Amino acid sequence: MKVSAFAQVAYRKFADGFEKQNDSSVTTPWSLVDPTEVRAAYKDYLDGLMLAARSGFDGLVFTEHGQASYDMMANPSLVASALAYATESEGLNVAIYPAGRSLGKSREPLRVAEEYAMIDNICGGRLVAGFPVGLMYDASINNGVPPIEIRGRFDENLALVLKAWRENDAFMFNGKFSQFECVNIWPRPQQRPRPPVWLTGTGNPATMQVVFDQDFGFNYLSWFGTKITGPRIFGRFWEMAGKLGKPLNPHQLGILQVACVAATDAEAERKYKKHIEYLFNRGPGAIAGEKLAIPGGIGLQGLHALMRDPSDFGIAHELRSVSYAKLVDVGSVIVGSVATVTEQLTELAKTHRIGNLHLMMQFGSMPRELAMENISLFGKEVVPKLKNVWKDEPHHWWPERLGGRPRYSATQPAARAMGGA
Amino acid sequence: MAGLVDTKERLVDVWGGRVKLRFQIVGTGAPLIYLHPAAGLHFDPFLATLAKRYTIVAPEVPGTSPGDGNAIHQVDDLWDLVLLYEEGIRKLGLNGTPILMGQSFGGMLAAELAAHFPAMFKKLVLFDPIGLRREGLPITNWMTTPPPALAALLFKDTSHPAAKAMFTPPADPEAAANGTAALVWALGCTGKFVWPIADKGLRKRLHRVTAPTLVIWGEDDALISSGYAKEFGNAIKGSRVEVIPNCGHIPQLEQGETALKLVNAFLGD
Repeated sequence: MKVSAFAQVAYRKFADGFEKQNDSSVTTPWSLVDPTEVRAAYKDYLDGLMLAARSGFDGLVFTEHGQASYDMMANPSLVASALAYATESEGLNVAIYPAGRSLGKSREPLRVAEEYAMIDNICGGRLVAGFPVGLMYDASINNGVPPIEIRGRFDENLALVLKAWRENDAFMFNGKFSQFECVNIWPRPQQRPRPPVWLTGTGNPATMQVVFDQDFGFNYLSWFGTKITGPRIFGRFWEMAGKLGKPLNPHQLGILQVACVAATDAEAERKYKKHIEYLFNRGPGAIAGEKLAIPGGIGLQGLHALMRDPSDFGIAHELRSVSYAKLVDVGSVIVGSVATVTEQLTELAKTHRIGNLHLMMQFGSMPRELAMENISLFGKEVVPKLKNVWKDEPHHWWPERLGGRPRYSATQPAARAMGGA
Repeated sequence: MAGLVDTKERLVDVWGGRVKLRFQIVGTGAPLIYLHPAAGLHFDPFLATLAKRYTIVAPEVPGTSPGDGNAIHQVDDLWDLVLLYEEGIRKLGLNGTPILMGQSFGGMLAAELAAHFPAMFKKLVLFDPIGLRREGLPITNWMTTPPPALAALLFKDTSHPAAKAMFTPPADPEAAANGTAALVWALGCTGKFVWPIADKGLRKRLHRVTAPTLVIWGEDDALISSGYAKEFGNAIKGSRVEVIPNCGHIPQLEQGETALKLVNAFLGD
């Protein structure tokens, strides 16, 4: 199993009760902010990821969110670029893994293709290229994309990015959302015909279908309680794999897991509880629900399913006030001693056939020292044990330079035709 | 479509056969084309009354017709939609030159049609149309308004029977689920042509409208400020503007009698 460090750049100093007056994205008042703390947040975030790179983690994973106080990450390519150079300079063989640029949001798909290609050159072929469809508030409110167009734009943009990487010759592109007379990006990625590609989804079967059609990896990045949502989402994923006659290789599936470790279970709870509650209550939990589900963003079939059974979204509706105890209970966080977290993470991976764990160890209001302590202890005591899980399964969705065995058909199929969102 | 009245349905092949545009037709008399708001087509008491004097011809935005949700993916933008509506109306072969009326999203679409095809319509009636935007005149994005806040967005008096009727879900859970899914999808489909809620160039085009025009607005419209009534009035030469006091976004429902009187006086015989 590949064990990566996952992080978001959160503003860490919102006052108690912030979430009762404010959302954590789109409308969050900048007047609440201490600029010194914003600067410190970026420094600690990058230091945390670099520490993970030096502590034996397999990859560094991060996300894109515009106008978000819980993840001040308007463009993850900037971070990827910094990490690519720093890790290359230090000879750290980790994956640079933006999870990544939202293609449902992007109005400049070739810019995305170029940036990723540059990063892959800077890090010498260690890029794992993540492409989420993107959150609706980000695509539609922040970037002006009609919700009903997000999916179609994602499909077209992805096809264009892959072609721009793959083709050696220049080509004309006459798409619905963008048109170009001559596409010939410099550079192409080091990894040919492309770096490993991962899509992020919340359980939409349409996204899973694309993953299997094009031999991508599938990331499930969720705060909603894996004990509730896991059996549904991962069950659906493997059921689809089975129906399509694909091998059930755990390395095709990745998840985000908030995880905290300390000397004992009691100490872990004492140290991390309030930072975990800050993360959920004042971070992603404080996104306005109506801005995550804007009409048009979910297709008609999905709407009918959702109206009858909203369980795919687990405890999403209560994150703004959810307690630490509940978060532990539903599996949104795994907290405890080395033995406890090792056992629970191993069980999680084995139960759902997960071959890529993205551990979020630095988050919420957590001060720098505690974050570094958490990352170090994980690297030293937990990660080596987790790496043994699924060690006999080949990893086809990881860079060759890092021991992956990517496989590509001679010609990649075009992205699926435009369909319902 | 929830119906107070029995309507006839006509499917018209448009857009090179890629879309079947559905019209609901009811009433007797001269043709009056009614363009529905963002939530889709619902025959209300106001339309039922008008149907006694006019033949109401009401097209549905592709995607909002039951059983044909994916039709929306055949229509890319507002220009497509305007052309597709013109084609549908033309192919219906209506007797005489129709009156064109629209509410909110439908008001914007009506204004676009009348601007693109000035000779096509006899008269134009706009109820609280969207389509213009300027600083200082607020618009609330209905697509990101939490459901509990929607009644107050649409009605000045949320205890009005029409508000109660609109926001009381069916008792049957299956019907409620279907209704909510259809409503959300309709908002998504119509939202394709207005998102983000902005001026898509209508201000530049309104000078092309030559049909006599009546603009009616609820003074207390919380969705789109009644200040836009004057904006439309100024942009459409010779138009008449009526702002109804104590009234929200849907004058035909919240102040139905007043709205009906104004419309009748404007349409004449």
